[in-house]
Amino acid sequence: MATGALISFTLNILCAVVALLTSYYAYRVNRLVANQVVGAISLGFMLLGVGLAVDASTSLFSGRILVESFSDRVLVLFASFTYLTVQMVAYLVIAIGYARAAYGGQQKMAVPAVLAGAAAVGLYRFSLLSYFVALILLAFVVFQGLLLHSGQKNRFSTMVLLAFGLILAAHVVLLASVLTLGTALFLIGTGIQFLGFLSLLIFVVRSEVVGPK
Amino acid sequence: MAQSEKQRSVLRINLDILNAVRDEGDAKPTHILYKANLSHERLVKYLDDLTAKGLIEIKQDGENRTYNLTTKGVSFLIEMRRAESFVQGFGLAI
Repeated sequence: MATGALISFTLNILCAVVALLTSYYAYRVNRLVANQVVGAISLGFMLLGVGLAVDASTSLFSGRILVESFSDRVLVLFASFTYLTVQMVAYLVIAIGYARAAYGGQQKMAVPAVLAGAAAVGLYRFSLLSYFVALILLAFVVFQGLLLHSGQKNRFSTMVLLAFGLILAAHVVLLASVLTLGTALFLIGTGIQFLGFLSLLIFVVRSEVVGPK
Repeated sequence: MAQSEKQRSVLRINLDILNAVRDEGDAKPTHILYKANLSHERLVKYLDDLTAKGLIEIKQDGENRTYNLTTKGVSFLIEMRRAESFVQGFGLAI
Protein backbone atom coordinates (compact mmCIF):
# COMPACT_ATOMS: atom_id res chain seq x y z
CA MET A 1 0.00 0.00 0.00
CA ALA A 2 2.81 2.39 0.90
CA THR A 3 4.55 1.67 -2.43
CA GLY A 4 1.27 2.14 -4.30
CA ALA A 5 0.68 5.43 -2.51
CA LEU A 6 4.20 6.57 -3.37
CA ILE A 7 3.78 5.68 -7.06
CA SER A 8 0.40 7.41 -7.16
CA PHE A 9 1.86 10.46 -5.40
CA THR A 10 4.81 10.69 -7.82
CA LEU A 11 2.74 10.28 -10.98
CA ASN A 12 0.07 12.71 -9.81
CA ILE A 13 2.64 15.34 -8.81
CA LEU A 14 4.26 15.06 -12.25
CA CYS A 15 0.84 15.34 -13.92
CA ALA A 16 0.09 18.38 -11.73
CA VAL A 17 3.35 20.05 -12.80
CA VAL A 18 2.56 19.44 -16.50
CA ALA A 19 -1.02 20.73 -16.04
CA LEU A 20 0.23 23.90 -14.32
CA LEU A 21 2.90 24.38 -16.99
CA THR A 22 0.26 24.03 -19.73
CA SER A 23 -1.93 26.51 -17.86
CA TYR A 24 0.96 28.99 -17.66
CA TYR A 25 1.73 28.71 -21.40
CA ALA A 26 -1.96 29.07 -22.24
CA TYR A 27 -2.06 32.17 -20.02
CA ARG A 28 0.97 33.64 -21.80
CA VAL A 29 -0.51 32.88 -25.23
CA ASN A 30 -3.83 34.35 -24.15
CA ARG A 31 -2.12 37.64 -23.28
CA LEU A 32 -1.00 37.81 -26.91
CA VAL A 33 -4.05 36.51 -28.75
CA ALA A 34 -6.85 37.37 -26.26
CA ASN A 35 -8.91 34.29 -27.12
CA GLN A 36 -11.68 33.08 -24.78
CA VAL A 37 -11.03 29.42 -25.61
CA VAL A 38 -7.34 29.74 -24.72
CA GLY A 39 -8.45 31.47 -21.50
CA ALA A 40 -10.72 28.51 -20.72
CA ILE A 41 -7.86 26.10 -21.41
CA SER A 42 -5.58 28.07 -19.07
CA LEU A 43 -8.19 28.12 -16.28
CA GLY A 44 -9.10 24.44 -16.82
CA PHE A 45 -5.51 23.23 -16.62
CA MET A 46 -4.81 25.43 -13.61
CA LEU A 47 -7.74 23.83 -11.76
CA LEU A 48 -6.62 20.39 -12.92
CA GLY A 49 -3.07 21.05 -11.73
CA VAL A 50 -4.26 22.21 -8.31
CA GLY A 51 -6.64 19.23 -8.10
CA LEU A 52 -3.91 16.75 -9.01
CA ALA A 53 -1.54 18.31 -6.47
CA VAL A 54 -4.22 17.99 -3.78
CA ASP A 55 -4.86 14.37 -4.83
CA ALA A 56 -1.14 13.58 -4.80
CA SER A 57 -0.82 14.97 -1.27
CA THR A 58 -3.88 12.97 -0.22
CA SER A 59 -2.51 9.70 -1.59
CA LEU A 60 0.75 10.20 0.31
CA PHE A 61 -1.06 11.33 3.46
CA SER A 62 -3.65 8.52 3.41
CA GLY A 63 -1.04 5.89 2.58
CA ARG A 64 0.84 6.88 5.71
CA ILE A 65 -1.66 7.77 8.43
CA LEU A 66 -5.16 6.82 7.25
CA VAL A 67 -6.11 5.02 10.42
CA GLU A 68 -4.47 7.28 12.96
CA SER A 69 -7.28 9.61 13.93
CA PHE A 70 -10.75 10.73 13.00
CA SER A 71 -9.60 14.31 12.23
CA ASP A 72 -6.96 12.96 9.82
CA ARG A 73 -9.60 10.90 8.05
CA VAL A 74 -11.88 13.91 7.77
CA LEU A 75 -8.99 15.86 6.24
CA VAL A 76 -8.29 13.08 3.71
CA LEU A 77 -11.98 12.83 2.80
CA PHE A 78 -12.18 16.59 2.42
CA ALA A 79 -9.08 16.59 0.19
CA SER A 80 -10.49 13.76 -1.96
CA PHE A 81 -13.80 15.57 -2.26
CA THR A 82 -11.96 18.78 -3.23
CA TYR A 83 -9.88 16.97 -5.86
CA LEU A 84 -12.85 15.22 -7.45
CA THR A 85 -14.88 18.45 -7.56
CA VAL A 86 -12.01 20.52 -8.95
CA GLN A 87 -11.29 17.84 -11.55
CA MET A 88 -14.90 17.91 -12.76
CA VAL A 89 -14.94 21.70 -12.92
CA ALA A 90 -11.61 21.69 -14.78
CA TYR A 91 -12.86 19.28 -17.45
CA LEU A 92 -16.12 21.22 -17.63
CA VAL A 93 -14.22 24.47 -18.32
CA ILE A 94 -12.08 22.79 -21.00
CA ALA A 95 -15.14 21.10 -22.53
CA ILE A 96 -17.01 24.43 -22.74
CA GLY A 97 -13.92 26.04 -24.27
CA TYR A 98 -13.73 23.32 -26.89
CA ALA A 99 -17.46 23.55 -27.58
CA ARG A 100 -17.10 27.29 -28.19
CA ALA A 101 -14.26 26.62 -30.59
CA ALA A 102 -16.19 23.92 -32.44
CA TYR A 103 -19.59 25.62 -32.60
CA GLY A 104 -18.75 29.26 -31.96
CA GLY A 105 -21.46 29.64 -29.33
CA GLN A 106 -22.08 29.06 -25.64
CA GLN A 107 -23.08 25.59 -24.60
CA LYS A 108 -25.66 25.18 -21.87
CA MET A 109 -24.85 22.12 -19.84
CA ALA A 110 -26.53 20.54 -16.82
CA VAL A 111 -23.24 19.60 -15.18
CA PRO A 112 -23.26 22.37 -12.51
CA ALA A 113 -26.56 20.96 -11.27
CA VAL A 114 -25.01 17.48 -11.19
CA LEU A 115 -22.12 18.89 -9.12
CA ALA A 116 -24.51 20.42 -6.61
CA GLY A 117 -26.41 17.15 -6.29
CA ALA A 118 -23.22 15.20 -5.93
CA ALA A 119 -22.24 17.19 -2.85
CA ALA A 120 -25.17 15.65 -1.02
CA VAL A 121 -24.10 12.01 -1.45
CA GLY A 122 -21.30 10.03 0.18
CA LEU A 123 -17.69 10.16 -0.99
CA TYR A 124 -17.75 6.72 -2.59
CA ARG A 125 -20.83 7.54 -4.63
CA PHE A 126 -19.38 10.95 -5.29
CA SER A 127 -16.12 9.38 -6.51
CA LEU A 128 -18.10 7.12 -8.81
CA LEU A 129 -20.19 10.00 -10.06
CA SER A 130 -17.24 12.37 -10.50
CA TYR A 131 -15.23 9.83 -12.53
CA PHE A 132 -18.33 9.17 -14.60
CA VAL A 133 -18.95 12.89 -15.20
CA ALA A 134 -15.24 13.46 -15.93
CA LEU A 135 -15.45 10.56 -18.39
CA ILE A 136 -18.40 12.12 -20.21
CA LEU A 137 -16.73 15.54 -20.28
CA LEU A 138 -13.45 14.07 -21.53
CA ALA A 139 -15.28 12.06 -24.19
CA PHE A 140 -16.91 15.34 -25.22
CA VAL A 141 -13.51 17.11 -25.29
CA VAL A 142 -11.97 14.30 -27.39
CA PHE A 143 -14.95 14.40 -29.77
CA GLN A 144 -14.67 18.18 -30.18
CA GLY A 145 -10.92 17.82 -30.52
CA LEU A 146 -11.44 15.28 -33.31
CA LEU A 147 -13.82 17.67 -35.08
CA LEU A 148 -11.32 20.53 -34.85
CA HIS A 149 -8.39 18.27 -35.71
CA SER A 150 -10.12 17.02 -38.87
CA GLY A 151 -10.38 20.62 -40.09
CA GLN A 152 -6.83 21.62 -39.22
CA LYS A 153 -4.51 18.62 -39.14
CA ASN A 154 -1.02 19.25 -37.82
CA ARG A 155 1.46 17.53 -35.52
CA PHE A 156 0.56 19.78 -32.59
CA SER A 157 -3.14 19.02 -32.61
CA THR A 158 -2.32 15.29 -32.95
CA MET A 159 -0.26 15.46 -29.75
CA VAL A 160 -3.00 17.28 -27.83
CA LEU A 161 -5.62 14.84 -29.12
CA LEU A 162 -3.44 11.91 -28.07
CA ALA A 163 -3.05 13.49 -24.61
CA PHE A 164 -6.80 13.91 -24.12
CA GLY A 165 -7.41 10.42 -25.55
CA LEU A 166 -5.01 8.88 -23.02
CA ILE A 167 -6.53 10.89 -20.15
CA LEU A 168 -9.96 9.63 -21.28
CA ALA A 169 -8.69 6.02 -21.33
CA ALA A 170 -7.19 6.58 -17.87
CA HIS A 171 -10.54 7.69 -16.52
CA VAL A 172 -12.22 4.55 -17.89
CA VAL A 173 -9.69 2.48 -15.92
CA LEU A 174 -10.01 4.75 -12.85
CA LEU A 175 -13.80 4.39 -12.94
CA ALA A 176 -13.38 0.60 -13.11
CA SER A 177 -10.98 0.80 -10.15
CA VAL A 178 -13.55 2.74 -8.10
CA LEU A 179 -16.24 0.17 -9.03
CA THR A 180 -14.08 -2.83 -8.12
CA LEU A 181 -12.02 -1.07 -5.42
CA GLY A 182 -8.95 -2.42 -7.21
CA THR A 183 -5.60 -0.87 -6.25
CA ALA A 184 -3.81 -2.34 -9.28
CA LEU A 185 -6.41 -0.88 -11.64
CA PHE A 186 -6.09 2.47 -9.89
CA LEU A 187 -2.32 2.48 -10.41
CA ILE A 188 -2.71 1.46 -14.08
CA GLY A 189 -5.21 4.29 -14.55
CA THR A 190 -2.85 6.75 -12.89
CA GLY A 191 -0.04 5.50 -15.14
CA ILE A 192 -2.11 5.97 -18.32
CA GLN A 193 -3.09 9.43 -17.12
CA PHE A 194 0.60 10.21 -16.65
CA LEU A 195 1.28 9.14 -20.27
CA GLY A 196 -1.46 11.54 -21.37
CA PHE A 197 0.18 14.40 -19.49
CA LEU A 198 3.56 13.35 -20.90
CA SER A 199 2.15 13.77 -24.41
CA LEU A 200 0.89 17.21 -23.35
CA LEU A 201 4.35 18.09 -22.02
CA ILE A 202 5.96 17.10 -25.34
CA PHE A 203 3.43 19.31 -27.12
CA VAL A 204 4.12 22.31 -24.85
CA VAL A 205 7.89 21.95 -25.21
CA ARG A 206 7.75 21.49 -29.00
CA SER A 207 5.40 24.42 -29.50
CA GLU A 208 7.76 26.55 -27.40
CA VAL A 209 10.93 25.65 -29.32
CA VAL A 210 9.39 26.31 -32.72
CA GLY A 211 11.69 28.66 -34.64
CA PRO A 212 11.02 31.46 -37.09
CA LYS A 213 9.49 30.49 -40.45
CA MET B 1 -15.04 27.19 -41.26
CA ALA B 2 -11.59 27.75 -42.72
CA GLN B 3 -9.61 30.81 -41.65
CA SER B 4 -9.56 32.18 -45.21
CA GLU B 5 -13.35 32.05 -45.37
CA LYS B 6 -13.77 34.01 -42.15
CA GLN B 7 -13.11 37.66 -41.58
CA ARG B 8 -9.49 38.05 -40.55
CA SER B 9 -8.82 39.26 -37.03
CA VAL B 10 -6.83 42.48 -36.49
CA LEU B 11 -4.05 40.35 -35.05
CA ARG B 12 -4.02 38.12 -38.16
CA ILE B 13 -3.83 41.19 -40.44
CA ASN B 14 -0.97 42.65 -38.38
CA LEU B 15 0.84 39.31 -38.57
CA ASP B 16 0.36 39.12 -42.34
CA ILE B 17 1.82 42.63 -42.67
CA LEU B 18 4.77 41.84 -40.40
CA ASN B 19 5.46 38.59 -42.28
CA ALA B 20 5.38 40.48 -45.58
CA VAL B 21 7.82 43.09 -44.24
CA ARG B 22 10.11 40.37 -42.87
CA ASP B 23 10.04 38.31 -46.11
CA GLU B 24 10.86 41.28 -48.32
CA GLY B 25 13.22 43.40 -46.19
CA ASP B 26 13.08 47.06 -47.22
CA ALA B 27 9.50 46.27 -48.13
CA LYS B 28 7.63 48.65 -50.40
CA PRO B 29 4.00 49.49 -49.52
CA THR B 30 2.77 47.98 -52.80
CA HIS B 31 4.44 44.69 -52.00
CA ILE B 32 3.00 44.64 -48.45
CA LEU B 33 -0.39 45.60 -49.84
CA TYR B 34 -0.30 42.66 -52.23
CA LYS B 35 1.01 40.14 -49.70
CA ALA B 36 -1.32 41.20 -46.88
CA ASN B 37 -4.29 41.50 -49.25
CA LEU B 38 -5.45 44.92 -48.03
CA SER B 39 -6.75 48.11 -49.57
CA HIS B 40 -4.31 51.04 -49.60
CA GLU B 41 -6.36 53.01 -47.09
CA ARG B 42 -6.44 50.15 -44.57
CA LEU B 43 -2.78 49.34 -45.11
CA VAL B 44 -1.74 52.91 -44.25
CA LYS B 45 -3.75 52.71 -41.03
CA TYR B 46 -2.18 49.39 -40.04
CA LEU B 47 1.34 50.51 -40.97
CA ASP B 48 0.92 53.65 -38.86
CA ASP B 49 -0.25 51.48 -35.98
CA LEU B 50 2.67 49.08 -36.25
CA THR B 51 5.15 51.96 -36.55
CA ALA B 52 3.69 53.61 -33.45
CA LYS B 53 4.05 50.31 -31.56
CA GLY B 54 7.70 50.14 -32.59
CA LEU B 55 7.33 46.87 -34.50
CA ILE B 56 8.36 48.30 -37.87
CA GLU B 57 10.45 51.31 -38.93
CA ILE B 58 10.22 53.56 -41.96
CA LYS B 59 13.18 54.14 -44.27
CA GLN B 60 12.73 57.21 -46.40
CA ASP B 61 14.96 57.48 -49.47
CA GLY B 62 13.87 60.52 -51.50
CA GLU B 63 10.40 59.71 -52.80
CA ASN B 64 10.69 56.04 -51.89
CA ARG B 65 9.42 54.82 -48.57
CA THR B 66 10.22 51.28 -47.39
CA TYR B 67 9.55 49.36 -44.19
CA ASN B 68 11.73 47.10 -42.04
CA LEU B 69 11.13 45.06 -38.93
CA THR B 70 12.61 46.44 -35.71
CA THR B 71 14.22 44.16 -33.11
CA LYS B 72 10.96 44.40 -31.18
CA GLY B 73 9.08 43.36 -34.32
CA VAL B 74 11.31 40.31 -34.82
CA SER B 75 10.81 39.25 -31.18
CA PHE B 76 7.07 39.79 -31.52
CA LEU B 77 6.93 37.57 -34.61
CA ILE B 78 8.84 34.78 -32.84
CA GLU B 79 6.49 35.02 -29.83
CA MET B 80 3.48 34.96 -32.14
CA ARG B 81 4.82 31.92 -33.99
CA ARG B 82 5.05 30.07 -30.67
CA ALA B 83 1.57 31.23 -29.73
CA GLU B 84 0.24 30.09 -33.09
CA SER B 85 1.76 26.63 -32.62
CA PHE B 86 0.15 26.44 -29.19
CA VAL B 87 -3.34 27.41 -30.32
CA GLN B 88 -3.08 25.11 -33.36
CA GLY B 89 -2.54 22.25 -30.90
CA PHE B 90 -6.05 22.89 -29.62
CA GLY B 91 -7.46 23.12 -33.13
CA LEU B 92 -7.67 26.92 -33.04
CA ALA B 93 -6.38 29.65 -35.30
CA ILE B 94 -5.29 33.23 -34.65
